[in-house]
Formats: sequence, C-alpha cells, structure tokens
Amino acid sequence: MEEDIDTRKINNSFLRDHSYATEADIISTVEFNHTGELLATGDKGGRVVIFQREQESKNQVHRRGEYNVYSTFQSHEPEFDYLKSLEIEEKINKIRWLPQQNAAYFLLSTNDKTVKLWKVSERDKRPEGYNLKDEEGRLRDPATITTLRVPVLRPMDLMVEATPRRVFANAHTYHINSISVNSDYETYMSADDLRINLWNFEITNQSFNIVDIKPANMEELTEVITAAEFHPHHCNTFVYSSSKGTIRLCDMRASALCDRHTKFFEEPEDPSNRSFFSEIISSISDVKFSHSGRYIMTRDYLTVKVWDLNMESRPIETYQVHDYLRSKLCSLYENDCIFDKFECVWNGSDSVIMTGSYNNFFRMFDRNTKRDVTLEASRENSKPRAILKPRKVCVGGKRRKDEISVDSLDFSKKILHTAWHPSENIIAVAATNNLYIFQDKVN
Amino acid sequence: MEVQKEAQRIMTLSVWKMYHSRMQRGGLRLHRSLQLSLIMRSAREVYLSAKVEAHEEPGVPSQPACSLDPRLHPPREAQTRVEAALSDSEQLCPEPMDTQEAPRAEESPARCAPRPAKISRKRRSSSLANSGDAGLVPSKKARLEEEGAEEGESSEISNRLQPPPAQAEGAFPNLARVLQRRFSGLLNCSPAVPPTVPPPPACEAKPVCRRADSMLNVLVRAVVAF
Repeated sequence: MEEDIDTRKINNSFLRDHSYATEADIISTVEFNHTGELLATGDKGGRVVIFQREQESKNQVHRRGEYNVYSTFQSHEPEFDYLKSLEIEEKINKIRWLPQQNAAYFLLSTNDKTVKLWKVSERDKRPEGYNLKDEEGRLRDPATITTLRVPVLRPMDLMVEATPRRVFANAHTYHINSISVNSDYETYMSADDLRINLWNFEITNQSFNIVDIKPANMEELTEVITAAEFHPHHCNTFVYSSSKGTIRLCDMRASALCDRHTKFFEEPEDPSNRSFFSEIISSISDVKFSHSGRYIMTRDYLTVKVWDLNMESRPIETYQVHDYLRSKLCSLYENDCIFDKFECVWNGSDSVIMTGSYNNFFRMFDRNTKRDVTLEASRENSKPRAILKPRKVCVGGKRRKDEISVDSLDFSKKILHTAWHPSENIIAVAATNNLYIFQDKVN
Repeated sequence: MEVQKEAQRIMTLSVWKMYHSRMQRGGLRLHRSLQLSLIMRSAREVYLSAKVEAHEEPGVPSQPACSLDPRLHPPREAQTRVEAALSDSEQLCPEPMDTQEAPRAEESPARCAPRPAKISRKRRSSSLANSGDAGLVPSKKARLEEEGAEEGESSEISNRLQPPPAQAEGAFPNLARVLQRRFSGLLNCSPAVPPTVPPPPACEAKPVCRRADSMLNVLVRAVVAF
C-alpha cells in the first residue's frame, strides 16, 4: 500500500536533537474520535493534545485535511497515595472518545488510578455590554448607572477550552490498563490487573464491580487482566484478555458478577515453540473488537491473532510481527523489551490490521490478500508528500542493500501506539515522543 | 553446567529486576512482578533439575552446549527427563521445600509439579548441602523470614472481605523488606551481580554465585510465594 506522508511532529524545540527527549513527552496513547475529525494523544506527563483535521478546501487540493493542534490540557497530575506511600504516575494510559451528541466533544482519559471525563468545547463569541459590570468585570457603582442596555454577543478569537466534567476516582487498587465506552453511551468500564468496574457517566461515587479475578490467597495468583473492551454493538457483551494468552467473553445479562465467562478463547500451545520465555510472551497486550463486532484481534509479544467470536478453540488468522526476535528473547528480557505492550488496530473496513514493532517499524497485514508490509516512522525517511518505502529485516544470510539486520535494530525506538481513522486511510503512529500521521496517496 | 550458569544468571537478573521495579514511580506493577516471578520460577526449576542431574551422574558431563540463549529446548528436555527419573526412583524430591510447606495450602501448582509420595528429603538436603548448594535448601532461618512475607499475604484473605483497597498491596511491603534486606547483602558482597550488560558467566561469577545461592534461595522463595 503506497502512502503519502503528511507528517506532523509535535516537539519542543530542544527535542530537535534525537538523543535528548524529555520523558514527559513520550506519547502513551493515541485515539481518533468516531468521525476521525479529531485525534487525541496522551503522554507520560499527563497532558492530552487534541488535533483537528482542517476542512478540505477546494483551492488546495493537495493539502487534504492536515491535522493541527486544537487543544492542549493537563489531564492528570502526579499524586501521592499517603496510605501506601506510593506515587501515582500521571501518565495517560488510555483515551477513549464518546460519540458526539452536541457541539462539545467528550473524552475519557485515565492514568493508573483515576478516570476523568473531559468536555472540550469552543467559544467564539462573548457577551459585551453588561449593566452591572464593566468590560473588565469589575462591579460598577450603581449610582453611575443611568441607562439600561441589553448585552450583545460579539465574535471573538476562537478559544477551545477543556473542562473536567467528572472524576471517577478511588475504585481501583491495581493499575488501570483499559477503559472502554459501552455502545449504550451511558456506561463505560475500567479494568485494572485484577478487576473490572462498570461506571455510569453521571455517577462518580459508585461503580459496579463486574469482574474480579483476585484469588483469595495472592500466592495463588497466576494471571492478570491485561486489556478489556466492550462489544461495539451489543451493550451486554465485553471481552477481557489475560497474561496467560486467553480471552474471555462475558455477558452481563448472565449475572451481576461476570467471573464465569460465556466464551473462553485459548489456542493450545505449540510444543515446538516452547521455550523458557514462552509463558511471558504469550501474554496479550491488547484486544480489539473489529468494527463489525464479529472478530477480535489480540496482540502478544510476537504475533497478532484474529479470532472469530464463534470459534473458541483457536484463532482464524495468525500474523507474525517480528518472529526474528524469537531467538533473542533472552537479550530482550535483559533489556526489558520483552515486557513491552504493543497495541493493534483495525482499519475502518476490518480488512487491514496494523501494529508496531521496534526500530520505529510498524506492520500492516491485509487480511484478504495476505500481504504484509513493514514501514518506518522516522524523520529521515519522512519528507512531506514522500512515499514510505517498505522496509525489510534480514534474518540471516546475506543482507541485501536495503535490508536491515536484526542486530542493527534499535530497540529503544518502539512503536507501541497506533491509530487508524475510522473511515479513511489515515493512520497516526506514535514513535516515542513524535507523532506521525500518514495518509493514502492522492492521485 | 552452562545451563546451570545461565539459569542462575537469569535468576539473579530477575531478582535484580524485581528489586528495581519497586523503586520506579507508580509502585510495584502486579503484572510485571508476576512475569518476573514466572521467569524466576522457571529458571529455578531448570537450575535445580540441571543440578540434580549433574549430581546424579557425576561421571557424565551435563548437557553439552546448552546455552539458554539460542536454543531453549534442551533445558526443558532435561527437566522432563529428570522428572521422569524422579517419579520412577522416588529418591529425590525436586522441591524439598514442598515438604516443609506441606501443611500450607497455598502452594502453587507449578511448585508441586512432581511430588512423590515417599520423600526422603533428608537425603536430598544433605546431598545438596554436600554439593555446596546449601543455600537452595532452606534453613530454618530462612523460613522465619519467609513467614514474615507470608503473614503479610494471609492478611490478604481477611482484607478481601472488605471493599476498601487499602491492604491489597500488603504483601508487597513484606516481600520488599525481605528483598531489601537480603538483596542489599547480595549487592554488598557481590558488586558484579546486578547486570548492566551481563558479565561473561564463566570466571568472575563463580565465587559470587555461591554466595548468591543462599541469598537467592530466600529471595526466590519469597518471590514465588508472592
């Protein structure tokens, strides 16, 4: 798939030098809203930056809707849990948009412990001509008021303001890894390592616990919840993945506490692939429903799998993301890369899936043609409107000119977070502290 | 021997990572800790089974060319072979600590794997002690420290009945205390152990690893208990 690049890099000026990057600027989540008009990113410093797509103008056909910064706000601050003497990181773990119901935009953002509902709204008019206040807002001396006038709304420079409308706190003992908005648009769930809670948007001081896998004795702990998501259409159905590589589908109609799953998806382990680290690389780092609701996609350390909801015994498709790392697992354990949590995304029509890798590579798999491509998100290779060249990793033997050998891969440059526009072929790729936006080639 | 060294290196590395993870912002991550303990458990099993096999057949050299890095099938095969031998002979208990903890209900399945009915643990203990691996067989002293960690965990049970999340990480401080106490000793006497780049396993690791064994045992037990 050829791609036209319209890059948008979000940096402060001192980040021009690659080797120096503030940790706070590392992007930790990327999400398009339901129309694709807005793109939100969260970073380790607790900030949310929202980009808005420009209206396409007939004059500039080639500038097909660039994304520009729309709003920036500090969503979460570092906190301290005095009871446990623990610092609570402000890093934004997930952002999820609510569908738009009026002029304002709403999104949920979460750190390890607290979920917040933010309202992002525009203000482009302001009232002028108050009777009791002057233009600066100071109260006027009533004795000086001799006439009465009606305030009028006058246009002003567009201001985008973000206000926290709800704060959902104190419901999670462990670290929140996922949030998911229900298709009823009234509830959402938040999942931590051992529990999943169901919230109503209007109620902040209560949540229902719908999944609890904490064992009576923590010594018996064998698996944790790694991701959870609601079905896109059925408001009673959700899935959650575990560190053991299994997915459970639950139906909230069955019981209040969904500890017993309705469906259990697990692939039998391939004994030939068994290794010292196979337990931990089977841990699922992300689970996503397809837009159709028929399939789920899971990402573990080395593969992406597509499952049919109707078949629990094994996935219907398995894609190798970077199988050449299988022999390097020991080194990857040493440098902690084996614990990296990669995400995966569907395109709008569920025909292509995408996920990230190392060396700023990301991979796309076409489910119909079975073709795959490796692309790189880097400044050197990204000039505006240049076409991304497919990359290839050489696994052994003679290395061809354009190939890169496994040992030359830069494991500090990892693409964990990507997003795909809901209807168009526009993708957002987060490479550490840089955000790349790629579009399909315009003919 | 290489398998053993590699397993030991991984165990040491895992302990270091667990200790280090406590220092990072945001506190202990449950998932990460679980993964580290899984690795440590596997490494320990490999180490012990390799040790047992080396001990059992002193004339026969241990698995040749079994670096854990590239090919990881041989250790597993060795382990299953050892397990098969064990179930036949019933002479050795691969988990001597099992018997000490038999009254405890909280043994995880992985640790109980082959558990022969008749156990001559004394023979096992003494045999291992003779081979200089005394650290891997828990002494009473180590057990007391473990008690501290496990008491913290038993408080978990009562706390589950109460919704407030306060005690859920109660196990961690105890575990961390054990780690801190033991590991600082480890750090003091073997500065080469915490790896930045893993040191070549052969030479300098030898004297260090022996001391690490006794400390590691407690650490591994504490972590596996977690």
